[in-house]
Parts: sequence; structure tokens; C-alpha cells
Amino acid sequence: MLNHGEHPRRIASTGRGQGSLLAGLLVFLALAGAPLLGLAQDAPGQTAGVAYRDIPAVGSRNIVWVIAQLHLLLAGFVLGVPIFAWICEIVGWKTGEKRYDKLAKEFTKLLTSSYATTALFGGILLFMLIGFYPKLMAYLGDIFFPSFVVYCILFLLETATLYLYWYGWDAMQEGSKKTLHLFLGFLLNVFAFFIMIVPNSWATFQASPVVIAEGSDLARAWAATWNPTWWPVNIHRLIANVVLGGYICGAYAGIRYLSAKTAEEREHYDWMGYVGNFIGVFGLLPLPFAGYWLMREIYQYNQQMGITLMGGFLSWLFILQAMLIGVLFLGSNYYFWMGITHRIPGSEVKYRRPIMAMLVILLLCLGVWMTPHSLVASLEEARKMGGTHHPLLGVFGVMSAKMTVANLMILVTFMSFIMYWRAGKEETAGWAKVAKSIMGGVLGVAAIVVIVLGVWGYFVPAIVRINYFSVAQVLIVLFVMLTITPLTALLLRSAKTTTEMVWGRMPPRAGYALVLNAVMVILLMTLMGYARSSSRVHWHIYGVMRDSSQYAYSPALGYAAALMSLNTFLFCMLVAFIFWVATMGEKAKAGGGGGKG
Amino acid sequence: MSEVALLQVIGLGVIGLGVAILLFIQARFVRVVGFVMIVLGLFSMTALGVPQMASLPPAEEKFDVANIKTASDMAAIGQKIFFSKGQCALCHSIGPSESARCPDLKGIGSKLTREFIYESLTQPQAYVYQDYRHEGLPKEYPARMPYINKNPIGLSNNEILSVIAFLQQMSGEPITVSPSEVTQPAQTVAAIPVAHAQ
Repeated sequence: MLNHGEHPRRIASTGRGQGSLLAGLLVFLALAGAPLLGLAQDAPGQTAGVAYRDIPAVGSRNIVWVIAQLHLLLAGFVLGVPIFAWICEIVGWKTGEKRYDKLAKEFTKLLTSSYATTALFGGILLFMLIGFYPKLMAYLGDIFFPSFVVYCILFLLETATLYLYWYGWDAMQEGSKKTLHLFLGFLLNVFAFFIMIVPNSWATFQASPVVIAEGSDLARAWAATWNPTWWPVNIHRLIANVVLGGYICGAYAGIRYLSAKTAEEREHYDWMGYVGNFIGVFGLLPLPFAGYWLMREIYQYNQQMGITLMGGFLSWLFILQAMLIGVLFLGSNYYFWMGITHRIPGSEVKYRRPIMAMLVILLLCLGVWMTPHSLVASLEEARKMGGTHHPLLGVFGVMSAKMTVANLMILVTFMSFIMYWRAGKEETAGWAKVAKSIMGGVLGVAAIVVIVLGVWGYFVPAIVRINYFSVAQVLIVLFVMLTITPLTALLLRSAKTTTEMVWGRMPPRAGYALVLNAVMVILLMTLMGYARSSSRVHWHIYGVMRDSSQYAYSPALGYAAALMSLNTFLFCMLVAFIFWVATMGEKAKAGGGGGKG
Repeated sequence: MSEVALLQVIGLGVIGLGVAILLFIQARFVRVVGFVMIVLGLFSMTALGVPQMASLPPAEEKFDVANIKTASDMAAIGQKIFFSKGQCALCHSIGPSESARCPDLKGIGSKLTREFIYESLTQPQAYVYQDYRHEGLPKEYPARMPYINKNPIGLSNNEILSVIAFLQQMSGEPITVSPSEVTQPAQTVAAIPVAHAQ
């Protein structure tokens, strides 16, 4: 299976630019030709009523898996980057700092090439789906035809807005033209949002279908679109796209930082890495809440589906998810801490103890989050434990414990950010002492209440815990963020800078931390995509259209993880290629300039 | 070599290659690729270390009427359905269990009539008590119990009767379902009359 990815890599190593191009072309030709092989499986005249087609040895599902995953990741990137770029542009416009505008433009430039690549993979995916799953696609096409039309119109609008936004960047820099440009950025994001939620309705319909037999085509399509998991997935994906955009920006900055040759480059990419990590964390903090809402809706829709996910054959997947999220939290915090100790001279000693305390809390929380409900044990070990549940560790394997530590990890990460924000500054406001006491009090009380609710959760019926305690924990953490953030901003407005932040002094491991964070986010997206798809078990459309192909089973985690890793690797290479192509002209210009100089 | 072993060898190979790149190659981008390979390899190896459970489509129990001679034959089929296609064991246990999310079904055949069990399976909204407390007035509550005779589970009437036979048998009760009630799948099945529980 991994040979699929190994082959292009081997060819790529034979030459530099030409090798990558050749490998890309070969992959594309192989994929484009794949449906022809599939068609070859059906004798003429037999194709009319065919439900499935297959590619021997490789398997149609594996092909669709790879293409769909790459398309979704690219789409996440393409939809996340405009949000990221637009926020940066607004910050640049408001603060007058040109570097934000430059950063926004640098990333918008990537959009044009990545937009085309995403559309290309979308097209390939569509052909594959029609070729491999004609019956399913005919059914979905029948229900969703009106939304196909809407989707096409949205694409036209998005493309036109993107062209105006990108090509009009330099022409719309001053006065009211800048406001118009910002409005175009807003429109770009609005269309992008709708481009995301329309296909979301097709995917969520498969998991939680709403089928009405009567009514017009439009009424049927609307009922199917507004299915129980549509909005939870929309919100979850929107936030996740911001996270993906931020962390990929961070990874790009990390790689450029590692290979930077001048001090100016190091400063620029160090700062870019900080912005990327900040936006990634900014999105990461509310993401678990959106995930919780989605799972709640799944349980409400169909408890069996919820149990299949959380307590059935996919339960171990959530241990892997905990591991990935844990590494992501650690990586993000580690980057913040490195920022404090390297960019703000003299702060190493001052912040060593709080950093150590936060590290210990994070590791303990991660340990609890990763504790499985039932342990992998031999028969003898199980007998000694008195079952598959460990007498002590089993306590940490349940949702009450996991919700508690997830909230605590979010609180710690939030405090890391606040600490970084306040580092090197001295508050001068007369009410600073009171404000700091209030912030400390809010944080302390919130942490205690979160823990108390977590412990209390063991002694109340599940319905009370899920409906009241978990929701209360989430609201408390949100309250902390919504209280401390504006208070800190207000406090720092009049603060005096005691130590100037020095950019470009981060050690190389900071660059690798940024790359690690991006890989974790991509892996998480591939993992949860597999979970969402597998929760339908042997149904194309849950309870409506059964999967009767040879691939009706959901593969085990090991096999799935190998494919996820392959997809993550291919996506990273694709993004690297897009970045390389997009910055080629810039490098040539810099090289030419250098030669003249 | 099993699939898991093969994937482990590949995973180790990818990690090894990544380590070799970091040790011997100086080009920054290639080093980052090596680092990513190590991370992905470690992730795959971890995923291969947890229990490998695939989710297979449920096996269809064949109802060969000629082979069903006694009520015990039906209960034997019902037991298989209980743990497979019916997905009953996903939520219910037979006897106390830490992992059970729904009522323990041990002895249920002696507590409830056959008609009540049938109704619970096919009309789960009919009588549901909050938190399964069998006291006070019954309240209409959104049932978590799915309609067993409808998709996605979709047990046939024969299969439902077999599950009832199994529940009665494991409760030590006489099985009130008779093999004569089993019908050929093609035949139309008349609904069992439901007597409302008091």
C-alpha cells in the first residue's frame, strides 16, 4: 500500500525540479487512467445496472480514500487561508504595520495555485465516485441536484472574487479602495463558507439522512441538506480550517526559518511562525467544544452510531486522537515557551517555574486523556485485574475524566498565551494589581470548579453529566477566555515595554516544533475523517442505502493509520510543491538582485 | 506474513529512513521530510499497537424452516442475532457489567411478557421510563432504543421472534415462541397482537 507513495518519492529524488514534476505527472496519469481500468472490469452491455466498479490489487476504496482525503485537506487549506489572510490584512490595516499586509498578500498568492489544485482533485474525485459508485452517485444526484446548481454558482462567485482580491491587492491599498479590498476579502470568506457547507450537506446526509418521499425537488433537497449533523460539522470544519491554515503557515515559516541565510530572513520567518502558531492555537482552543457538540448531536440522532464511535470498534481511535491532540497542545505550548525564553532576553529565570508547572499539568492531563477505558491485557492479566478495567486507571478511562482534562489543557494553553503576551511588559495602570488579582481568581476558581464537576460527574446519571456538567465545564472555560482576554488587552494598552522582543533568535528546534504541529493537525483531520466515515459502518447512507460491495467493512486502525500517514505525507509534499512554485519568481528576483548588488 | 506485521515492517522502514536522512543529509528541506517521516512512522506504529478491530457487515442468519424443529433451535439463532446483526450487546449486557449503557437484560424474559418485549423492540417509544427507573407514572421520553424492525438494524419478524426466544431461554423461562410461527422470508408476516402492559 505504501508503495503507492514510495514510487513518486523515488523518482523525485533523481532530479530536482524536473523530478518532482515528472513524479507529479506520473501520479496524475496513473490516477486519471485508473477509471479506465475499472471500466475494463465490466463487459459491454453489463454496465447499465452496475452498482460498483473496482481496480484489482489497488482497490477502488483505497483510491477514493486517497483522492478524497487530499481534496478535503486542500479544501481545508484553501478555505482556511483566506480567513487567515483576511484577519492579517485587517490587523495590518488597523495597526498600520505593513508586515501584516505583506504576510496576508504572501498567503493570498498561494491561494491561486492551491485553489486550482483543489479543484483538480475535486474533479478527479467526482470522476472516481461516478466511476466506482454509480448507483450511490445516482441516488445522491437525484436528491441533491438543486444544491449542485447552487454549488456551481458559488464557485463562479468565489473565483471572480478571488481574482479581484488577489490581482487588485496593489491597486487597492489606499483610502476607500483599501476598505473595498477588505470587503472583497470578507466576500471571499462568505462564499468560501458556503462552498464548504454545501458539500458538507452531502457528506453529513450519508451519516444522518433525512429522506422525505413527498414534495418538490427543492423541498427534498432542503430536507436532506438540513440534516441533524450538518451544522455541527459546518462549525467544526470552519474552526478546523482556521487551525489548519494557521499551523500550515507556521510550518512554512518554520521551514523557511531553518533555511534562512540572512538575519532579516530569520527575523521575518520567526515572526511569521509566531503569527501562524498564534492563529492555530486561537482556533484550537474552541475546537474541542465544537467536537463535543458534534458528538452530542450524533448521540441524539442515533445512539448506536455514537456508541460505535466512542465505545464500539472505534473506541481506540479516540486514544490515538487524544495522543495527537496532546502532542499538538504540547507542541503549541512548547513553541510559546521557547518564544518567551529566547525572544525576550532575561526572562528565562522568571518564567522557568510557571513553565515547569504548566508542563507537568499538561503531561498529567495527557496521561489521563490517553488512558483507555478497557486495557489491552492478556487473559492472565485480566484475571489479576478482575476484568479488562484496571482498578485504578479504569477511573480515568471514562468521559467525565476526559472532559475534565481536556478543559484543563485548554486553560493551560490559554494561560501560556497570556503569559507570552504579558512577557517583557510592565503594567502601569493604577488598577493593574486589582485586575491581576481578578484574573488569577477567575482562573483558579474556574480550574477548581472544572475539577469538582469532573469528580461529581462519576456520581450522577450519564444524562445529567452530559446535559449539565459537561456543558457547564465548557461554559466556564469560555467564560475564562472571554474575561481574561479583554482584561489583559486593556491592561497592556498602557503597559510599558521593559524588554523588547528580539526576533530571529529561536533555536532550530522551534522550526521543527512548527512542522510537528502542522503534521499533527493534518493527521487529526485524516483520523477524524476515517471516524466519521466508519461510523456509518456498512451503509453508504445510514439506514437507507446499504454498502453491498466487497469493501462494506471498515478496516482496522493499523491499516487505516498507514493510509492516513500516506495521505498526510502526500498532502505535505503537495503543499510544499505549491509553496515552491509560488515563491519561485520571488527567489529568482532576490537572486538577480543579489547578483547585481 | 500477516498484514499487521507487514505494515509494522513498512512503518519501521519509514522511521529508519527518516533517521538516516537526519543523520546523513544536510539539506534543510530533506531533513524536514525525514523528520515528518519519523513522525508519521511513529504514528502508524502506535496505531498498529492498539487492538486491531475491523467492523464487518453483520452476517445474515439463514432461516431454513426445515431445520428449525424446536423452540431451542430458535433460541440458538436468537443468541447469534443478539450478538451480531441485532447489535443488542452494543448497549445491553446479560448480567451486571461496567460497560453496559442500557438496562441489564438478565432475567428479562421472566419480568416481561413476550408481547411487551416485542413491542419494546418494534415500538421503543411506547413505554420508556426516565433513567430506566420503573417507578412513578410513565413519561414520554425520547427513546434511545432504536426500532429493531427498521433500518439500520432491520431485523425480520423471524429474527425478532428468535431473539425473544433467546431472552426467554436465558431467563430460565419456558419459550413461548413456537417454530410454527416462523415463516418463509418471502411470505407476508402478520404483526403480533400487542397487549399493552399494565
